[in-house]
Amino acid sequence: MRRIDWRWILTGGALLIALSAPLLLSDYPYWLHVAIVAYFYAILASSWSLLAGYAGQFSFAHMAFMAIGAYGSGLMGKYLGTTPAVGIVASTVLAGFVGLIIGTLCLRLRGAYLALFTIAFSEVLRLTLNAELKITGGPNGLSLEPLLATTSRVPYYYLMLILLLASLGFMYWLAGSRFGLFFRSIREDEEAAAAMGVHIVRYKIAAFVITAMVAGLAGGVEAHYIGLVTPNILILGQMSIVIAMAVIGGIESLVGAAIGAILVQFSLELLREVGNWRLVAFGLLLMLTLRFARNGLIYPLIDRLVLQQAREAVIVGRAQKAKQVGEQA
Amino acid sequence: MIELDVRDVHIHFGGIQALNGVSFSVRGPELIGLIGPNGAGKTTLTNILNGVYKPTRGEVYLNGERISGLPPYEVARRGLGRTFQVTRAFRRMTVLENMLVPAMALHPTGRRQDFVDRAMEILRFLTMDHLAYEYARSLSGGQQKLLELGRLLMLDPDLIILDEPFAGVHPKLRETIWEFITTVHRQGKAFIIISHDMETIFTLSRRLLVLNFGELIADGDPDEVKEDPAVIEAYLGKED
Repeated sequence: MRRIDWRWILTGGALLIALSAPLLLSDYPYWLHVAIVAYFYAILASSWSLLAGYAGQFSFAHMAFMAIGAYGSGLMGKYLGTTPAVGIVASTVLAGFVGLIIGTLCLRLRGAYLALFTIAFSEVLRLTLNAELKITGGPNGLSLEPLLATTSRVPYYYLMLILLLASLGFMYWLAGSRFGLFFRSIREDEEAAAAMGVHIVRYKIAAFVITAMVAGLAGGVEAHYIGLVTPNILILGQMSIVIAMAVIGGIESLVGAAIGAILVQFSLELLREVGNWRLVAFGLLLMLTLRFARNGLIYPLIDRLVLQQAREAVIVGRAQKAKQVGEQA
Repeated sequence: MIELDVRDVHIHFGGIQALNGVSFSVRGPELIGLIGPNGAGKTTLTNILNGVYKPTRGEVYLNGERISGLPPYEVARRGLGRTFQVTRAFRRMTVLENMLVPAMALHPTGRRQDFVDRAMEILRFLTMDHLAYEYARSLSGGQQKLLELGRLLMLDPDLIILDEPFAGVHPKLRETIWEFITTVHRQGKAFIIISHDMETIFTLSRRLLVLNFGELIADGDPDEVKEDPAVIEAYLGKED
């Protein structure tokens, strides 16, 4: 009897719920807003997991690239008169360019040094945005034109959902390609990867550029949806939330990190009544995950579903081969 | 035919002269042992050959092309593969993924399925095909050494440097490693094998290089090298 493929059933079920959410939440527009923000964080957490979980580049600059996308698009609209769509595309490229510079500067940095360097970069950017009152609006933030000519949240919901699915699809393709393979080999052992012919310089920089562009794109779209961006998005606590989402979901899984981000975002909103205690609970969950489930809470389930099937395929293949050899003999 | 020329290689780290004018050549599929007391410079020499270190002075040529100063990935692509003294499998990747890394790095336009087929063939040769979808971290130390050898076959270099391939390995796996070396050598690959296991290295190699305090003190037939007074002195010390 043919076995049930739970991967497709779960994926189909999740997609169905996501697509019908605007209908299900038609009387609760606030929760639709929460879903949009959750998808935004899912893009950030999954792209950060590609950079840190796959490529081993534990960067704290991810929110900075997101901010470059947001501020870049807003400033281009304000000073150059570009439309939000053009601004988003241009600021995504700009985020990638800054990612190229940061990636190049970080080539020889690992571990704590890389983390400190990227924190410093984020702080420099935050303080600059904060100090520059005339251009960026300083602490008051920068207003942005809406991306879509509507007051409804539904189009934004679908836009962010498409963006999440497209970025996940792209990153999944990338992770399954030679890029993903080389990213992970560099994460595991740079010297051994180089000895196996992997051009480590090229792939380390590529990891920064690609993930910076994804974060920049998400930042641009989110900023035009909210209509305001402030330097507060660059505080370390915001970056820590993205990291925690990825860690809880599973730092080595793009889907795990995305699901982790959505679950955490909804949980934080559900627990809003308890005030800052929710952050305490969230912190404790993070500590427990790091201590007892270093692969996160979602990733082990995915790993079991995917790798288990591959192992079984090998066993079936070997049995068939043995049978063929036996028949030939 | 593989041609390696190491010419007057020096390297120092601060005030420590790790290698001092080392020169030798490899012509064709030789099976060379590289021995020397601890700190003699064996691993440093390997690191120079594969591009981890740039020599302070001197040059290394592989098949007529200068490789000293090239980064390790360029050296690997030109046909020099190595393993490490402490096993360095990509632990959080499956055995099959470990095998695919060098093949895909070397042949960017190749078909993944062809690499998978080749990898499974090599894993069968190493009696590890049943572990293809296991994470490398779940393998024993000896199996990880075999995996490193498998990765080298996927890289398909002309010259293979093995750093302590027999250290800490179960006798049964030791036989598999031995078989690997002799079989691959018969297929036309050159080997430089670093080992502290004197019995094995003297039996296995056809030529022996001996390093001591960063200098090449002997280069020749293992039986002759064994009797060389400089080598005896390096290992046993000088009689007062």
